[in-house]
Amino acid sequence: MEIRLENLTKVFTNKKTTNTLAVDQLDVTIPSGKLIGLLGPSGCGKSTTLYMISGLLKPTEGSIYFGDDDVTTVPPEERGIGLVFQNYALYPHMTVLQNIMFPLENLKVPKEEAMERAQKIADLVGIGELMSRKPAQLSGGQQQRVAIARALVKEPRVLLLDEPLSNLDARLRLQTREEIRRIQRETGITTIFVTHDQEEAMSISDEIILMDFGVKQQMGAPQNVYDEPANLFAAKFLGTPPINLFDGKISAKKIKLGQSVLGETKESPKDIVIGIRPEGFIVQKEGPIQADVEFVETIGRDTTLIMIDPTDETKRFRAIVDSDHKIEAGQSIALNIKPHKMYIFNQQTGERL
Amino acid sequence: MLEDKSNVKAWFYLAPALFLLTIFIFYPIFNALFLVFLRDYNYLQGTWEGFTLFENFLYVFRNQNFTQALTNTMIITFVSVPISVIIALLISVWLNSVLKLRGFFQTIFFLPYVTNAIAIGMAFAFLFNQNYGLINTMLGWVGLNPVNWVGLGATWGNAMFSLLVYVVWASLAFKIMVFLSGLQNIDKQYYDAARVDSTKRYRIFRRITIPLLSPMIFYITITSFIGAFKAYTQVIGMFGVRLGPPGNDKSLITIVALVYDALDRSGVPGALSEAAATAIVLFLITLVFTLINMQVSKNRVHYSGGGK
Amino acid sequence: MVLDTVMYGDEKQNRRKARIRFSLVLTMLILFGIFVVIPFYWMILTAFKTEAQVLTSPPILWLNPVNWQFSNFATAMDTAPFLRYMANTVLVSSISTVGTVITTVFAAFAFARLNFNGRDFLFMILISTMMIPGEIFVITNFLTVVELGWIQNQTYMNAILAMTLPFMTSIFYIFFLRQSFRQIPDELYYAAKVDGTTDLKYLFKIMVPIALPTIITITILNAMGTWNAYIWPRLVTQQQEFRLVSNGLRDAFSNIAGRILYNEQMAAALLVTFPLLVVFLLLKKYIIRGVSRSGIKG
Ligand SMILES: Nc1ncnc2c1ncn2[C@@H]1O[C@H](COP(=O)(O)OP(=O)(O)O)[C@@H](O)[C@H]1O
Ligand SMILES: [Mg+2]
Repeated sequence: MEIRLENLTKVFTNKKTTNTLAVDQLDVTIPSGKLIGLLGPSGCGKSTTLYMISGLLKPTEGSIYFGDDDVTTVPPEERGIGLVFQNYALYPHMTVLQNIMFPLENLKVPKEEAMERAQKIADLVGIGELMSRKPAQLSGGQQQRVAIARALVKEPRVLLLDEPLSNLDARLRLQTREEIRRIQRETGITTIFVTHDQEEAMSISDEIILMDFGVKQQMGAPQNVYDEPANLFAAKFLGTPPINLFDGKISAKKIKLGQSVLGETKESPKDIVIGIRPEGFIVQKEGPIQADVEFVETIGRDTTLIMIDPTDETKRFRAIVDSDHKIEAGQSIALNIKPHKMYIFNQQTGERL
Repeated sequence: MLEDKSNVKAWFYLAPALFLLTIFIFYPIFNALFLVFLRDYNYLQGTWEGFTLFENFLYVFRNQNFTQALTNTMIITFVSVPISVIIALLISVWLNSVLKLRGFFQTIFFLPYVTNAIAIGMAFAFLFNQNYGLINTMLGWVGLNPVNWVGLGATWGNAMFSLLVYVVWASLAFKIMVFLSGLQNIDKQYYDAARVDSTKRYRIFRRITIPLLSPMIFYITITSFIGAFKAYTQVIGMFGVRLGPPGNDKSLITIVALVYDALDRSGVPGALSEAAATAIVLFLITLVFTLINMQVSKNRVHYSGGGK
Repeated sequence: MVLDTVMYGDEKQNRRKARIRFSLVLTMLILFGIFVVIPFYWMILTAFKTEAQVLTSPPILWLNPVNWQFSNFATAMDTAPFLRYMANTVLVSSISTVGTVITTVFAAFAFARLNFNGRDFLFMILISTMMIPGEIFVITNFLTVVELGWIQNQTYMNAILAMTLPFMTSIFYIFFLRQSFRQIPDELYYAAKVDGTTDLKYLFKIMVPIALPTIITITILNAMGTWNAYIWPRLVTQQQEFRLVSNGLRDAFSNIAGRILYNEQMAAALLVTFPLLVVFLLLKKYIIRGVSRSGIKG
């Protein structure tokens, strides 16, 4: 089912009249049956958005549509959503089975059928053997799956996950995210997955929605957003290692870093930020950037160079190049740039030019 | 913890407390166990007539007031504890659900905790006064005749009822505060999760709030039972050393009162042993009920693995 | 006015339901609130009535402040030396509280931080005595203070000693404070050890400040306990003027023969209650927090 957010806004009003604008005029259409990653730094309003979709929080302004239904004022219990909390919120006094059956009991599903459905969903998420345990007797990853099973068992129209992997260790996180991907594919439920980890969002999502300060920055397929960041924030937030940024200028239709000309543009003269992905450099004798190598590290095919910014000696940038080049620290080398790995941004607004 | 043992130092830190505990707690326990087996112990002369196993306990049971004291103690305990636990639970749940006036009500409900039992007992006695008390005035508003609750010749039932009102009133504050802080410690996410899962209010209360609060309810119930078995000052506060309404003296006597009765006769040979025997009987009753309580609650109380 | 942090769909119906629920809850709270307040109100009201007003039936339920009879307090104080009782109580309360805090802090430190032979065994013994009714101790403790010569020809000093010394430590408070101490991470202790801090200094510079809320709670609970103490002071004081407020109050108004002057009785009761209420309102935050925590077994 498609989810549409129109002009969705949330202002938290505090007792002492300090207002927090947590979500600012969000307009998003989430296509049916897809897994969407809601991505942004901590405190940018992801959870708030998710809770508004769930109905636990009431929007200050704007509307939420599930398909053609306006659900803005529908209470959470009538929205037919499944919600997985960051700490799972499993009822500690109930067994796994009781936890999973709880939503069905509320819907007055007959006991037999409820047991059957609980078992089926538990098998799907791979915890079918643990039904009589209490949450405290489960590992983090298992608790996580119980939470997903509990959210899925009532066959929700929408599955919402709030940073579901953040309490797991690194290895389990990788494994569980594949698992979530698989379950989502098998069930085909429209799913929104909140995370602050860009790599997680990139690897799992059909599309990502990038947020900052409550404002949508960009939405699109992960690779598209990576390749074509809409603004400085999007460029900075995606990619490990992160993008290199330089203070540059446009003058006479040329992109200039110090005295070097990196490319052409139609923009009028102004101060700009030049972003170049680490993998966007090529070692080339006649390259426009001449810089000193401070440190070299070769792992397999790739060599990472830590270079001194030629326009500002206190800054460093990182280039990942082919390990065929024999480069040593202290050398000065020339670098060329792959044009599609370089972006320029308005220095004032951060907008992509 | 630390590897090396620091024996000498530890005992140095413990010394002040242990010194006092030895004199005023440990020694008295053993001494009570000793006294209770002495025949006709006369502490003024330090003499006794040999040992006896049961005699002092027989004195307790043969005491003309024992049945009355036992009955009163049981009634006070088994009426006031359940009622006050339930009322306190309800009030704390209500308190937890209002935001605006919570602080104000919290202060109000806590007031009884910080009062003097004797002073408030006297106020209750006057509240229940037949001619000039508020209770009978209020009964008059709804067309009922005045009742002689605590006055000259008041019946045991009326006096006991008044006492119970006071006991419940006095024991609410502590329970409400403890339950309220327990409720506030419950993770809000459980309620969010339950709401998303379309749980009805009543079911949330029964299936989530109560089980999560159950260790605290259990702990409070047990300690309240133990406390209620020792009821005495409340009776003194309301009825004075007469332990009953005028003309019906000692009708509200309790087991603890028997201990002090015996202690007041300490010069009489055997009285101290009788006091010790009474206290031990009280302890055994308390112990039995605590054990029963624990057994009954065993399967109903949820203890989270980690614990908060 | 919201019932939960969770919001509701704001259709009219839901709002109305929430409002009805809120009104019901508020009504119940007000009713029980009145139940709780009535004895205080009755005490205060009566304390300011004239004898004629007290003996009016049906009783007067509201008294205009201009008609308050303040002389009841003076008369009450003539009946018995209440100021003296209060002074005694404050003295006994201070001494036993200071003593309790000191012994408790040291013992809790040993149980929480130090490693010594028999620690767990000793602690278990202490805990298991908490179930034993105090009356068992009272019998022997009474004999003990008699033996110590604090009863016969009692001096004020003797009376104070008899009323404080047995209460200068408490197993429950040791247990309670130990729980707080144990929540302080071991690393702090190790860091202090590495820096060459002595145990005593660590206790007073690190642990006591961190556990201060608990210590304040213990202070308050202990002081309030003394204000309420009735049985033991009655047993061990031989002279009227050595007694504490509860005894004074009870004895002064228990004359079985004569009729009770309720306004004076309530004036005296109010005198005794008032200081506690003031202290409560001043320290409300600490008391409520402390008491709630003392009820939660760690
Ligand atoms: N109940 C609340 N009251 C006031 N401010 C809140 C509340 N919940 C969240 N906020 C604020 O709203 C902003 C967005 O929070 P949140 O949606 O939780 O961020 P995220 O989930 O992206 O980390 C933050 O600045 C946060 O402090
Ligand atoms: Mg969040």
